[in-house]
Formats: sequence, structure tokens, C-alpha cells
Amino acid sequence: MSDLKKAPSKAPVISHRKIRLAALLAVMGPGIIAGLSDDDPAGITTYSQLGAKYGYRLLWVLVLSTLALILFQDLGARIGVVTRQGLIGLVRQKYGARSGVFSASSLILANIGTMTAEFAGIAAAGQLFGISKYVSVPIGALLVTFLVLRGSFGRVEKVFFLLSAVFLSYILAGFLAHPDWGQALHGMVVPSMPFDHDAIFLATATLGTTLAPWGLAFIQSYAVDKRLTRDDLRLLRVDVWTGSLLTGVIGFFVVVTCAATLNHQGIFSITDASQAAQALEPLAGTLAKELFAIGLIGAALLAASILPLSTAYSVSDLTGRPAALDDHFKEAPLFYGTFAAITIISAGLILLPGAPLITILLWTQVLNAVLLLPLLCYMFGIARDKRLMGEFKASARMQSVYALIIAMVGICVSCMLWFTFH
Amino acid sequence: MKAKPITTVAVRAKRLVTRGESVLARKNIRESLVSVAGLIGRPVRDNDGRDLGKLVDIVVRHGEETYPAVSGLIVKVGARKSFIDGARISKLTKSEIRLSSTKVNLREYTRRPGESLLDADVIDHQIVDVNGLRVVRSADLYLAPLDREIRLVGVDVSFVSFLRRVFPGTIRRRPTPDRVVDWASVASLTDSTGQVRTAGPRSALSQLRPADLADLIEDLVGREQGALIELLDPDLAADVLEEMEDEDLLGLVRGLSADRAAELIVRMEPDESAEVLRDLDEEHRESILSAMAKETAKALRTLVSFDETLAGGVMTTHMVIARETDTVGAALKLLVENRERDISDGVVVVDSKGKLLDHIQMIELVSAKSSALLSTLIGAPLPMAVNIDTPLDEVIEEFSNNRGSSIVIVDESNKPVGRIMADDLVDALVARTGRRGFAQGSGALA
Repeated sequence: MSDLKKAPSKAPVISHRKIRLAALLAVMGPGIIAGLSDDDPAGITTYSQLGAKYGYRLLWVLVLSTLALILFQDLGARIGVVTRQGLIGLVRQKYGARSGVFSASSLILANIGTMTAEFAGIAAAGQLFGISKYVSVPIGALLVTFLVLRGSFGRVEKVFFLLSAVFLSYILAGFLAHPDWGQALHGMVVPSMPFDHDAIFLATATLGTTLAPWGLAFIQSYAVDKRLTRDDLRLLRVDVWTGSLLTGVIGFFVVVTCAATLNHQGIFSITDASQAAQALEPLAGTLAKELFAIGLIGAALLAASILPLSTAYSVSDLTGRPAALDDHFKEAPLFYGTFAAITIISAGLILLPGAPLITILLWTQVLNAVLLLPLLCYMFGIARDKRLMGEFKASARMQSVYALIIAMVGICVSCMLWFTFH
Repeated sequence: MKAKPITTVAVRAKRLVTRGESVLARKNIRESLVSVAGLIGRPVRDNDGRDLGKLVDIVVRHGEETYPAVSGLIVKVGARKSFIDGARISKLTKSEIRLSSTKVNLREYTRRPGESLLDADVIDHQIVDVNGLRVVRSADLYLAPLDREIRLVGVDVSFVSFLRRVFPGTIRRRPTPDRVVDWASVASLTDSTGQVRTAGPRSALSQLRPADLADLIEDLVGREQGALIELLDPDLAADVLEEMEDEDLLGLVRGLSADRAAELIVRMEPDESAEVLRDLDEEHRESILSAMAKETAKALRTLVSFDETLAGGVMTTHMVIARETDTVGAALKLLVENRERDISDGVVVVDSKGKLLDHIQMIELVSAKSSALLSTLIGAPLPMAVNIDTPLDEVIEEFSNNRGSSIVIVDESNKPVGRIMADDLVDALVARTGRRGFAQGSGALA
């Protein structure tokens, strides 16, 4: 070091704000992508049903779900950054082989089911534009596989962002429907609960579709893959909050769209989101219908890319061979193998004539609900673990907030199971 | 986790760290292996066969020996977890543990430095398989009697063994030693107090190439990364840091103590040190700099202040400067004295005011008389030199026009302040395009 010479200090001054914005953009991703992929066709269907059946009255359920989503996605991202491990790997490490294998295998099953629902969404939305499912589903599957197999991490992320932009169409459709903003605000802040089977079922489904197990597993693995560090945590929080809030906002617009049109006109019962889109046409115009359908395709594609990815991360994590999007196929056969298997099986289930789709979707919903509770508890346990989290261990106050949400989810899940089997 | 060239795989297979005979090769050891995962939850009995409680964990002591000995058991007696000293074990089988007495003194276990809990700290955690050059999760651990003690001899890394643990009963306890790695060739990175064991793997690890170690570190998770670095001696550790990718490096440095970070950073090439420091936030950077010698810290601060898109931001300050009035012999001596650093390609010659005159290549020095003055060697071709504020693009152009291996950086009064070597430029280009861009073969530099 003795030969270090004095040099003129002529460091050009870069504006502080510019640095901050660039840094934020570099960190952005996990929160927005994981959050928005929760607004998948199943989610949109649930929100549509909520709006069609109960108008603006149950919007407060969405507010609560969004709050739960924000807190647990934030926790997941933080665990990922601090421990640099995926959720399933941590569960194996902290809770042992049985917990690890249980979580991973239920996640695989639930994800195959959810993935099937995404392809069902693609098929239904395609049919709105007159495209056969035998065309739209294979194209969707190829698109998703090609994207992840051929792209680098940066490129894949960019495509994810692009897909996320499609969600704006729901906001547009919402304005086209001319909702009653006053009533919407009222429904958001004043809880009212009609005590009938459908209302409780829909409220539970809303929570379940917003806070999905695969989303929680995904955000953590993705933050690890993106190699974010502790210094990024503040910016990551901006990303997570934005993503989760946006998820809620889009859900809100879907609900008010359906409340202002379907519910207003007395169309209370719809079975899926594409039916909602169709019903929109005479009420809010062809554009609203098309926006709704485009949103549906984008949502399905985004979720269909995230789901196999989330599964692949989890499987690699369980086996102790963490893999990343930048790995080549030869380095991570298990990772890409899982990705391909999930995609092929679910696309196959949709295209197979006579596959028991309704049963698959029902069981998926049940499995996701059953899995959600232990996953939240594991995350809670990890958040409290000083040896894992160090200085980022959750404070006593935050712990009670997490516990409160887990209790709420517990009640919802029990209600849902009750109604499913009675 | 980046693309690794296929060729290294073959090299890896051959790179066996020879550490004498593996105990797992001995028949009697192979036959007496006891699975730790299978033993957890099994009864601990006194010498009359009465149940005392259930086994919760096994404590081993890491010492000078390659295979750590069992130093105690954690047993659940009633609702309490108690510690039983390892000396009381009379028999340890696949399905139970017998103690040598009927009376057991139960006391609470407190974690002690140098000890690990096998179930809580090692099973399912990451370990480094030094022979296989990979990071794995341990699926199971095996104990065996060796040198009059029960010792940890192997670690099972197969996924099948991991799945076996899900099942109840005897399947869970049956050893499957088909993919067992000898404990001697493993680096387990934490003991129960979060401290690091220094015996055993240290020598094996230091035989690895820095680039391989960097790959291993990138495969490790958070705390274990720092732990591996702690196992290495500072010079090797600094070399390893230089091989790491920026994001991983930054994450690692953030996890180290300021003193340790300072110790390693001063051993790195100045341009690399400056790059790390530049990327840290100010508070962290200052705490590391203040842990260094004043003079070194000052020099690094200057380097850090340069924008990395300008020549000053990528240059190294390592160079040998000689006066034109010095002899060739003196210049060669200077080069030899500084051979530790990668500057062996020549000397920078300055006039009496310290202004740049020429960069004289090694080959010219060696072929000249050692009594000749450097001034006699000065002449065409003129050295490649650019000002410290030159944008990187122009530096690159200069390089490609002149096909040199290095370029001298001067300040506004034409005094040499550093050099950019061709490899620094490669690093800068990679940083700009992103290694990922290269790995994917897009190759577009613009």
C-alpha cells in the first residue's frame, strides 16, 4: 500500500435522488411479482363473485386480506434476505425432515392444482376471443417454459414486470363501470357480515386467494435468487408494500366493477371470471369486457410462470441443492425438471377430455388452505428465532400482530373446511 | 450460482485432498455405524434397563482430533431437558442408549464454545464437502466407536437417506451408508455458540484454489459464508474475495466485523478494495476504513472517491516507480521486492519532478546492462497513458488501438497515479454488461 500515490479528488457529484431511484429499481421485483401473481384467475373469480353477490359490502374483507398479505410478504422477503435460504430449506433445517417433506409435498400438489386453475383461466379467456383451448393452453405452456428456460434472471424479471402491467386493465375496466365510490369507501371501512353460507365461504376464499402458500414460498426464494442483501431491506420493503397494496387495489377494482354492473343489474351468481367478463359486455361495453379478458390472460400467464418456479425453488431447497434462474440446465436438472413437470402435468389435465376439473380445483383450494396455516406458523417461528434472524428478529409487538393474523387465518380456514365438507 | 465452465468438473473429480485412510473404509466401522437421526427420540436407559427418558440431542466436542467425540447427551426426562455426560454412556446402539450407572445426576445443558448439538446444529444444515467441492445439506450423521470413544465419523448426504427419516420405526434407524462422506473431508461451519471450529478442515480447505472456494462460498447461505471465510488465513481469504461476484462479495463483507473486513480488504488489490468500499453505505465504509492503518485508509479513501466510469475508478495503485536517473539494476531490484503484487511487467519511469516519462517493459530491463541508466531506455514507443478523468470508453478505445497489456494513469500535472491492467478492464466490462449477459452468450457490449 506504500506506493499508493496521492490523486486529485475530483469525484463527480451524482445527484442523491438519482442514486436512490436506480437503487430502488434494482431491488424492485420480489414484492410486485409475488403480490400481483396472487391476483390470478382464481383470485379474479373470487373477487368477481364477491362483488356480484354482495356488491360493495364485503370490501373490508379485501382490506384485511391485503393487510395480512403486506405483513407476511414483508416477513417472507426479510427472512429470505437475512437467512439467504428459501422457506422450505429453512423449514427442513429448523423443523426437521417430516415438516420439510410435508410442506414440500403439499406445496407440489397444491401448486399443480393451482397451475391447472391458471391454465383453465387461459382457456376460458381465450374462448372469449374465440380461441380454442387446444390452441391457447399449449401456447401458454410453451410461452411460460420458454421464458424461464431461455432467459437470464434479468430478462425473466423484465417479462414479469411487463405481464404485471396488464393488471392496469382492471383499473380501466373499473372506471368504465362507473361505480359508486361513496358506497365502495363505506364497504371498505365499515365491516358488515351477512351470516349465510355463501358470504362466509366467499370471505374465506378471498383471504385464501390473496395470501397463497406458493406466493409466500416464492417471495423468499426469489429474494434469495436476486441476491438481495441486508442493505437492500429498506428498499425491498417499498417494493413489497407496493406490490401487496397493488394486489389489493386491483382486487378492489374487480370487486367494484362487478358490484357496479352485475350486482346492480341483479346478476348475483357467476361461476368464473370469464363469465364475469361476458356479463360485463352489455353493461359496461365491449371494451370493458375485452380489458377484463386481457387482464385475465396476463394474470394467468404471470401466475403460470411463478407457480412452477416457486415449486422448483422449493424442491431444490428441500434437497439441499439450491438452484437459481441463472443456472444452466446441466447444473440444475432438478430445478428445471420440476418446472417442466409441473407445467406439463397441469396443461395436460386441462386438455385431457373428461379430467375431473371441478374436483381438482376444489381439492386445490382445500389443500392451499390447509397448507397456509402451518406455513404461516413456520414463518412465525423463524421470525422469532434469534439464531436465524439475529438483529432482524421480530419484535414482541410484531410477533403479536403476526399471531393475530395467524389466528384470523385459522378461523377462516376452519370455517372453509367446515363449509366444504358439510 | 453462475455458469461454471464444464471443464472444471473433470478437474474437480481428480482433486482429492489426501488425508490418510478414511475410517469409513474399515469394515468394523462400517458395520457399527449408528444413525444420529434414527437415534433421536429413542429411549435412554440405566444399566438395569429402566427408561430414564428420551434422547433429544447429542453433543460433540470439536478439538484437535479429526473425528469429534460425543461429549454428552441431552435427554428429556419428564418435562425437563437434562444433560448427561458422555462418560456415563456404556452402550450406544441403533435403537437405544445404556448408561453405566443407575444414578444419574441431572443438570441443565448450557451451550459451551467448541461444542455442537448434532440434531439442532448439523443435521439438515449446510456443510462443505471439501473433496467433492460442493455445498450439501447433511441428511444424517453417523457415530461409531473409534479410539475408545464414540465419535462422529461420517455424514450422509443422499436424498434417499433424508427421505428415510420421514418414516417411522426401524426404517428411520437403518443406516444407509452408500453416500456417506468421511467427516475428515467435511467442513461444518458452526458450532452451537455460533463460533467456528478451526481444527480439521482448515488444512484441507486451504489446499483449494481461490476460485473454487469462491464458488463454494456463493453456494452457502448467510452466516455460513462468513464462517468459511473465518476458517481461511487472511491472504487466501483476500484472494477468495477477489474471485467472488460483486453482489455476493458485498453481502459477505457486510456480514463481517469491521476489523476482519479491514484485514481482508487491505490484502486485496487496491482497485478491488476500492470497488467493494464504494458499494458499501457510508457508515459501514467508515467503520471499516477506521479499522485500518491511517495511511492505507487515506489512500483507499482517495480511490473510493473516483467515479467507476472514469479511469481513476478502475485503476490499481500498485506500480513500481523509478527515476530516469536510476539504474536498470536498481529498477529490477525494486520489481523483485514488490513481486508479491501483480506488477511484474515493468517499471514506470518519472523525471526529477515526478512526471511520467515512460513505462519500461520487463523484457527491455532484462536485456539491458544492469549498470545502464533508465534514461537510456526511454524512447518510442511512447507509453500508453491517460488522464485520471478519462471516461472508461476512451480507455477501452485506447487499449484496443494500442494492444497493450496495461495503461498508465496520470493526474493533471502528468504524474503517474496508477495503472489499469487489461484484466481490470475485463472486470469493468463484465460489471457493465453483467456477467449474466456474458453467461447467456449474448455478448453485446453496447
